[in-house]
Amino acid sequence: MVNYSDDPKWADITPIPQDDGGPHPLAAIAYSDEYSEAMGYLRAVMAKEEHSERVLDLTEHIIEMNPAHYTVWLYRAKTLKELNFDLKTEIEWLNPAALKHLKNYQIWHHRQTIISQLNDPAGETDFIDTMLGPDSKNYHVWSYRQWLVKQFGLWKGEEGQKELDWVDGMIGDDVRNNSAWNHRWFVVFGCGEENIRDEAIVNREMGYAKAAIHKAPQNQSPWNYLHGIIRGSKTALSSLKDFALQFASLENPDDVHSSHALDLLAMIYAQDEDTKEKARQAFDLLANKYDPVRKPYWNYRKETLVN
Amino acid sequence: MSLVSGPGRGGVAAGLPQELSLYMDKHVSYIQSLDRRKDEREYWLTEHLRLSGLYWGLTALHLLGHPDALPRSQVIEFVLSCLHENGGFGAAPGHDSHMLYTVSGVQILATLDAFDELEARVQGGRLKIGQLVDIAGLQDAETGTFAGDEWGERDTRFLYGAFNALSLLGLLHLINVDKAVGHIQSCANFDGGYGTSPGAESHSGQVFTCLAALTIAGRLDLVDQDKLGAWLSERQLKNGGLNGRPEKKEDVCYSWWVFSSLAMLNKQHWIDGDKLANFILQCQDPQMGGFSDRPGDMVDVFHTCFGLAGLSLLKFPGLIEVDAVYCMPRAVTKRCLSK
Repeated sequence: MVNYSDDPKWADITPIPQDDGGPHPLAAIAYSDEYSEAMGYLRAVMAKEEHSERVLDLTEHIIEMNPAHYTVWLYRAKTLKELNFDLKTEIEWLNPAALKHLKNYQIWHHRQTIISQLNDPAGETDFIDTMLGPDSKNYHVWSYRQWLVKQFGLWKGEEGQKELDWVDGMIGDDVRNNSAWNHRWFVVFGCGEENIRDEAIVNREMGYAKAAIHKAPQNQSPWNYLHGIIRGSKTALSSLKDFALQFASLENPDDVHSSHALDLLAMIYAQDEDTKEKARQAFDLLANKYDPVRKPYWNYRKETLVN
Repeated sequence: MSLVSGPGRGGVAAGLPQELSLYMDKHVSYIQSLDRRKDEREYWLTEHLRLSGLYWGLTALHLLGHPDALPRSQVIEFVLSCLHENGGFGAAPGHDSHMLYTVSGVQILATLDAFDELEARVQGGRLKIGQLVDIAGLQDAETGTFAGDEWGERDTRFLYGAFNALSLLGLLHLINVDKAVGHIQSCANFDGGYGTSPGAESHSGQVFTCLAALTIAGRLDLVDQDKLGAWLSERQLKNGGLNGRPEKKEDVCYSWWVFSSLAMLNKQHWIDGDKLANFILQCQDPQMGGFSDRPGDMVDVFHTCFGLAGLSLLKFPGLIEVDAVYCMPRAVTKRCLSK
């Protein structure tokens, strides 16, 4: 346990007690433990605007106990700047802290600030791999990865290929990881309109999504990906009819392997006057058998089939 | 308002919604008890959320029809003690001002109809708060989005926060609404949803913030409503609960964000409301009150607020009507927005 009141290094500081607001400040509450003592010293150094090495130690101690306390992070960032502190050392300290607090927001913003000041992403992708180990869908980590790609232009050339290989590995590990699918879209189509107009890339990505659908036909992510490409590239929906028929057909209504395939078939059938009745049948199957929890939605879709 | 979780756990045996009860009195006393838990270490560890905690507790009490269960003058006193010179609110006295707590502060004052008290205590207080969001440069002039504080973390949550607080204060004209709307559009994804920033994965919480901001701006015409409605309705799982992203677990708070988003699109009926009500009711602690994220977990004030808001939006009997855009009593937003 760290103790400040008996530490000669802190003898010049008088801690400022907690003020909980309101007409009866709670300073009188006899509440003493490691955290409240450290906070008392933080309030005191903040009041005299001290930025020093010992302030870094103090903020580190408080962040360890309570990493979501945003004011502490901001004060630490200010102190780093005032001291012109070595930022590589700061990143080394941040790594284990981030692993301990997977859902924390402040840690990522702090990291982003430091890496952009260092202007060097070296080591960051390895760190991300470590972070995704315990939680491969962590929103903060994926957002940070996107920031890295944007900040350092990692979608072009050799770097771009590396990024694509990496996300392919992530989807390979878990084909249901929607965050990885979103990142693939970001890497392939997120940097401008160019790639969605490139037939070779569009075909490659459609093939990629189709292969993933074969592995897990009921998985939403590659279906969303496929629909995104079709809309973006203005590919005719009907070109996917044979593909959809591999997972669902009206001839075998008891043998549907994917409600998403049935949905796609309904969309294709809805485009043609002669097959509208088939679209109706598909929506009925979805409403009554394969996705009854969303029955009103499928009924709505059926009603939009204008005669 | 304590953000300590527990003491109880959510867990009511499954049943038909008409058979499950809402333990209203238990929830009222649960929220009241949260202010008496200052002897627990976690009370202090969650200080950085205090003002939002107060908003969640107060909103829950209003929806339960017990607006006076917390002493009004003391609540106002606490809120104003979090107000900074620059017009922003910190989470608690001594904490830096931040967009999230500024919104909570404004929402609490609006709910208590206390803007006059604000003006009496801080001259020009409303405008001061509005100007924090505007002149302090929290809106990015180039992209139109908002930062949470002077340190610049950007997120569609903060953009929604700015729209929410400024519209309640009647000061939306202080910011560049068109530019912010353009930014929201750039956050729309290939699957129909929205994320924290352009390219970021679709997430129910972010869909709520983007859709609510567009509703306040009167620009729902920019949304591919069928596509987004389909994505939102796909969030319902077999047990009736809603999740935040594909292949994730159901949660009471996501149930609110998804269902309120569907309500803004007028498509609440696309999912099974009875099943959703059933799921939320199963997350109550019937003995000591409060709601948890899912049955079996510890209750907390955050999920208590969103659980009750969800039930209110489902028109569960006995609850006060909630506003899907603001997560506040509808009567309050009507009063503020008509001024």
